[in-house]
Amino acid sequence: MRYAPAILLGRVVRVLARWRKPGGGSAVPGLVVNKVAPGFLPRTLNSFPDGLIIVTGSSGKSTTTKMLVAALRAHGTAVFTNQSTANISQGLTSALLEQVSLSGRIAGDIAVLEMDEGHGALISGSLTPRVVTLTNVMVDQIDRFHDSDMVAAMLAKIAARATGTVVINADDQYLANLADHLDGSATVARYGVSAEVLAANPRGLGYSATTEDRLDAGEGMLLTQAQGRRATVSISGREFPLGLPARGTHYAVDALTALCTVQAALGDRFDPIRAIDAISAIPPVFGRGEIVTVRGQQVEFVLVQNPASFQLNVDSLESGTEQILVAIGSDVRDPSYFWPVITSGLSRVRIASGSKGHDIALQLAYDDVVVDRIELDLGRALDDFLALPEPLIGMKTIIFSADSMRRTRAHLGLVTNSEA
Amino acid sequence: MTRPLTIVSLLPELLGTNGDAANARVLAQRSRWAGIEAEVIDVRSATDLPEYVDAVVIGSGSDSDLISARDILAPMTTNLREWTTAGVPILAVGTGWELLSWGIELADGTAIEGLGVVAGRATPMPERATDDIVVDSRHGRLVGFENHARNYVGAEASPLGQVRTGTGNGAGTEGLVMGTLIGTHLHGPVLARNPGLADHLLRSALVRTGQMYAPGVRTQAADDIAQAARNQVAVRLGLSAE
Repeated sequence: MRYAPAILLGRVVRVLARWRKPGGGSAVPGLVVNKVAPGFLPRTLNSFPDGLIIVTGSSGKSTTTKMLVAALRAHGTAVFTNQSTANISQGLTSALLEQVSLSGRIAGDIAVLEMDEGHGALISGSLTPRVVTLTNVMVDQIDRFHDSDMVAAMLAKIAARATGTVVINADDQYLANLADHLDGSATVARYGVSAEVLAANPRGLGYSATTEDRLDAGEGMLLTQAQGRRATVSISGREFPLGLPARGTHYAVDALTALCTVQAALGDRFDPIRAIDAISAIPPVFGRGEIVTVRGQQVEFVLVQNPASFQLNVDSLESGTEQILVAIGSDVRDPSYFWPVITSGLSRVRIASGSKGHDIALQLAYDDVVVDRIELDLGRALDDFLALPEPLIGMKTIIFSADSMRRTRAHLGLVTNSEA
Repeated sequence: MTRPLTIVSLLPELLGTNGDAANARVLAQRSRWAGIEAEVIDVRSATDLPEYVDAVVIGSGSDSDLISARDILAPMTTNLREWTTAGVPILAVGTGWELLSWGIELADGTAIEGLGVVAGRATPMPERATDDIVVDSRHGRLVGFENHARNYVGAEASPLGQVRTGTGNGAGTEGLVMGTLIGTHLHGPVLARNPGLADHLLRSALVRTGQMYAPGVRTQAADDIAQAARNQVAVRLGLSAE
């Protein structure tokens, strides 16, 4: 009952916050409780009977977390999980307040948290996760995490907290180095792609540094095939087919990451077929392969979160797709961000939009992509783009950054699968 | 001239963190748009160097790669000196520029010896500079993004320009000019956003091969976009549009 007063206070604040601003104020209760009872968050997160799992890394966290939660639940495990938010401590505390009893307990066997590497490194010092899963190190949000070394150092800090297993992407050189230098009791579980899968991605998988050698089947879980929305994984020498929520090798790697984590979390209780069925049943998500009918037309929305995912998405677009809108918003602080991407595969873009519309149009121009128009006003760009007659080749395709995605959803009033 | 204009991109992976290697692509495109064939040669070690070099682009990398990048560049020191003497344009961005200097002082008190191709050295700053930067230069107003943890001292006599907004070298100036070599903290697509600087480098390259440079039709279209992008940043920072 130690935190009962703080929990009650948080609930009162929540009611007041919603009273003042209906539907909003979700981080405020967390802010207040973290202030008066800083021990509440770590204590609650460390109290799940089957422990805490943290998923972190540059890219693929959301999809991996979602797959992991589905696979754990398919084993009958009760899971507490979060939506990733900008300020993880406040958001998490607020989320916990929704479900916690006055005694400070939350119903559930296990907690699965997706953590941004920066905020994760800040709060992980008080946490004792049983499993820490690391996806990759990519050049990501470079104006905040200025280089790969810094990202790797933050991930190492989080990984050092693991009491059971650190799950790592063996194809990522930074993570391989990190695993070699782990001290403490945690064991390392590895996953990776086969030489064939890597060869099928001539530009690589987007990691800042890729290891020379591929993982052997005896050393961990392998992705042995990835084609469109189908993949094959090898677990303890057995091959299993797998369905993905969207096309692209990176989604197959996310599924592999989730499977490797489920095995680390459940040990002997891990049932590959049960886990794979659950992952294969996950529907596509808005901005990640979902096709939505908007104003009577089918539109594919493609979210690009970093140079690697931008490149993969450009490369996997149906060739000749003739109606493309690209919108890059204020979330991309530094316009240098996307320049490593070769966008020439797009051939023609009808409208470049978002507050960084000029910058993305400039890059497209240098890649010999024809840009018909620059319209910084995203609402007007969307209206005009959707008003174009149906394309003859490919589907109407909207490529956007996270900020432009939020604005697009709001402008079009879309209620679809959430992005988390 | 029958051979294409050859633009060398030095260590495009190791020194290309912020998309700096794209500057080679920008020079090549501007050349093609002007009707002059151009090619980008990625150079990852001295053995990759082509017979003719018309322009050189070198970018920025991680601090943990400083020594390995320096060691790969070291055998090319003579080449770099010959290019600077011969008037081959060189654009060196961020740590790529620092490696060409006398040396790099790190925050932990140690130092990394540079190649000594240009005067000056990099010294640690109390805080990292990460923001838009605007510089007044003889190539016009330069707008870019800086992201570095070190000042540059010793370039005061011949900087690239004066800082209007931002940090730059640390004492009101930004960058370094030594003949046709330009060092700068403006990372990423600095040449795409600042075509005045790009064409200065391109003209320097073409004058050596006896070619005239006249920007192409598509160049103008791209430069209009660049100007809009620059003005957007300038106005946000309280400066006038151009």
